[in-house]
Amino acid sequence: MYQGKVVLITGARRGVGRILVDHFLQHGAQVIGLSRTADDALVSPSYHPMPVDVGDAEAVARAFGEIRRTFGHVDVVINNAAVLTSQYALIMPPAAAQAMLQTNLMGAFLVSREAAKLMRGRPCGRIIQISSMAVCLEPAGDSMYAATKAAVTTMSQVMAKEFAAMHITCNTLGITAIDTDMLQQLPRQKVDAVIAGLPLPRYATADDILNVVDFFASERSSYITGQTVYLGGVH
Amino acid sequence: MQVTEDAVLETIYQALRALNAERAADAQIALAPTTCLFGEASVLDSLSLVSVIVDLETHVSDAFGKSVSLTDDRAMSRDPVPFTDVTALQRYLLELLAE
Repeated sequence: MYQGKVVLITGARRGVGRILVDHFLQHGAQVIGLSRTADDALVSPSYHPMPVDVGDAEAVARAFGEIRRTFGHVDVVINNAAVLTSQYALIMPPAAAQAMLQTNLMGAFLVSREAAKLMRGRPCGRIIQISSMAVCLEPAGDSMYAATKAAVTTMSQVMAKEFAAMHITCNTLGITAIDTDMLQQLPRQKVDAVIAGLPLPRYATADDILNVVDFFASERSSYITGQTVYLGGVH
Repeated sequence: MQVTEDAVLETIYQALRALNAERAADAQIALAPTTCLFGEASVLDSLSLVSVIVDLETHVSDAFGKSVSLTDDRAMSRDPVPFTDVTALQRYLLELLAE
């Protein structure tokens, strides 16, 4: 399905990012995985891990310089990297709030714009943001996390307009909870209660996520941009 | 490649040629030192200018082995901005490459 495609995934070392890496590798893509720390757990001739802090503008530009020299272009970019500190706003450490802003929003911004430079002149490019049900559900304790993810959605909609002439689509997938490392940072009972309140009251599966990612990444989705799809009936 | 006035000018023309390749025959940008790139007299819309700047940053990096940014705070806070016309852009690039 992705034979000959170059796919870049941020936050590739674990969680949803790793699910995406495995999926694209399985379907024939050359996968570039960006993660804050070195990723040596997965060895494949088609997997190209790069240790990059996506919130660092110079590091991102350097990484894309290397990608340009090695691959010449990139077809699909998925901004999945995110950090989460769940804490009431009154006692949220400013450094933790800043870290969410830097990785979740600035990281997505920096990676998207560098990707767009490499997608210019290609028949099509796909930029997909991974957002969260927190944007709609606004759970207590997630003020900053939800705000960064809401900002990513808005950013994607604006980029959809700016990049349309370059045949690049920008779409967002708002995922519900899935059993990953990030989920383990939250009180399980609290998450269970949120999930129980969804129209489709269950945890997301890898396939739920991959289904929408494949849809956005497809060449057939050239007329779909600036859209957000939430899993589980969230809106 | 050695940094010379001609070599820098050629990188600018290279970026303009790439833009011309996407434009209609009657909307070609003149490759000349006086070609206006920014402001009321410019024939480029904002997206075309962005396109030229992005291409130019890449060409300069490839040609001279040095990364430059034409849209950082330093460039954008200049009055006038360094890409009013081809000559101004050439001068600014020479300045950056000399550092």
